[in-house]
Amino acid sequence: MTTEIDAYNWRLKGRCYKLGHDVPHPGGVIPSALITAREFDPQKLIPHLFAESDPGFHERVKPGDIIVTGRNFGMGPKMNGYIAMQALGLGLVCESMPFLAYRAAVGCGLPVMTDCFNVTELCDSGDELEVDFRSGMFFNHTRDIRKEYPPLPDALQEIVALGGNTGWLKRWWQEKQAT
Amino acid sequence: MGMTAVEKVLARTAGRAQVRAGDVIYPDPDFIMIHDGLVRGVRRELDALGIDRLAAPDKVMMVTDHEVIYGSARAAEFGVINRNAAKAWGIKNFYDVGRGGHGHIFPMESGLLLPGMFYFDNDRHATNAGAIGAFGFRVGAEISRVLATGTNWVMAPQSVKLTLRGKLKPGVHARDIGFRIARLLNDGALNFELDYRVLEFAGDLDDLDLAARAALCNSPTEMRAYGVFFPPSAAILERARLHAKRPFTPVYADSDAVYEASAELDISMLEPQIAPPGGIQQSIDIGGVAGQKIDHAFIGACGSGMYEDFAIAAQILRGRQLAPGVRMFIAPGSEQSTHRLLAEGLMQTFMEAGVIPLPAGCGPCNDAVVGPLHSGEVSISTASNSNAGRFGARDAKLFLGSPATVAASAVAGKITDPRAMKPL
Repeated sequence: MTTEIDAYNWRLKGRCYKLGHDVPHPGGVIPSALITAREFDPQKLIPHLFAESDPGFHERVKPGDIIVTGRNFGMGPKMNGYIAMQALGLGLVCESMPFLAYRAAVGCGLPVMTDCFNVTELCDSGDELEVDFRSGMFFNHTRDIRKEYPPLPDALQEIVALGGNTGWLKRWWQEKQAT
Repeated sequence: MGMTAVEKVLARTAGRAQVRAGDVIYPDPDFIMIHDGLVRGVRRELDALGIDRLAAPDKVMMVTDHEVIYGSARAAEFGVINRNAAKAWGIKNFYDVGRGGHGHIFPMESGLLLPGMFYFDNDRHATNAGAIGAFGFRVGAEISRVLATGTNWVMAPQSVKLTLRGKLKPGVHARDIGFRIARLLNDGALNFELDYRVLEFAGDLDDLDLAARAALCNSPTEMRAYGVFFPPSAAILERARLHAKRPFTPVYADSDAVYEASAELDISMLEPQIAPPGGIQQSIDIGGVAGQKIDHAFIGACGSGMYEDFAIAAQILRGRQLAPGVRMFIAPGSEQSTHRLLAEGLMQTFMEAGVIPLPAGCGPCNDAVVGPLHSGEVSISTASNSNAGRFGARDAKLFLGSPATVAASAVAGKITDPRAMKPL
């Protein structure tokens, strides 16, 4: 699986989309109706990403854009919003998130970094950011700031590089069949 | 630098001399548990990938506990899907309806889950394993990877230590300690947080039997603890040895283990607690809510489903009747407990009082698949939490208390301090 990890684009470059502390997944990230309906189809989820707080978000956002959040992002183990973010080619950088939210984001194949202390003080929405999720390097080109954060651990990179848990399992099975 | 108890469990199963909080490891579990509600989704996922066999079917325990009595055509369909999956995957340890009980309880009682063990589970109440000095790790739907490959990634959690001091007053129960801990955490009166932490208990624990320890695993889990750990006492070890289905080695934290935080709690003045609707973190002394009328009562679920919990309730119910208009259910945690309650006459006590016994399992605590509430009704129970909608109608009011408090309240028809209702 090292080939996929090396080939994966770990460095995202795009605009910052900043959120505050304690943003709940239901409502804050994606409408709760889609969560309770267990909707996991990215194309159906994308139009609703951040729609309750910011209608039209999905039309303005571009691949490579980076969502930067305060503490306790997601507030639980839901996946729906991360599926939409991953399908849009976004990255996620958080001051903190509950562990299950982090595990869900990794499982959806989303490039994510957590425990990025005070990162919301280093950027504002619209700033030009560059983040390397494999090395933990964070750049704000608008403000000429450079900071190093804990990267995505080595062991989890293969999951993200393969598009999430299902992609990982698919690849594992293919390798097992081949041997 | 030493290791915490859970770090030691993880080190053994990961084949490493040392594991530290934050390490990502792939433990080789002692067993793997999947509960009834998730089998269908996992089967579909693995089938779609062409994965037609499990890494270690002999290690898998499939448990029917969340929906034991099929109350709908859909549930009956799930039952068929689960039995087909067990057959296709070659799972011999299939504890279907009437054959085991609650997956977080019966394995501890019957010597399948033993001190020092590690296992993967899809359900978060795997934290109950800490009662016997083991560690159950919740992976949710990622149990599919565990079933297919035999393991999954685990980031070793931090441990925090809570030292209990003193003896509980008569009539006060381990669940009351749990409710109080939740309130203290909410108020910032305990200097740690529990998200993805292991809460390791220390101090005056010898009075806490297995049921009390399981009870104390419950509320920390609702406060997002990923594990709870009790160092096994001599009595716990003796009980484990009596039933053990295989050899085991208990683990204890090193004296120089590293904890993220530590605190002490004096339990000697604790009053019976009530968790009000909305959350255990708002728990208060029973005096603040005594007299609240109730319609529905339930004893059972992860935190109060062992024989001892029902024995406490039966002491209060013996020779008494439920108040008019109150319906009460019990769901023992294991078939074994149901049999013991029958053999010792306690089941008769419950039935003579007017209580409806349910088969071993989760009871109403799983999405109210049995025994739900109507809009505006009021319940007191030993469920895991009192969140809106847990027992059906979102505007039903759910209160939580210890088994003794629930039994006394069901007799009185209103929330009642169990110390006011002496055994007849």
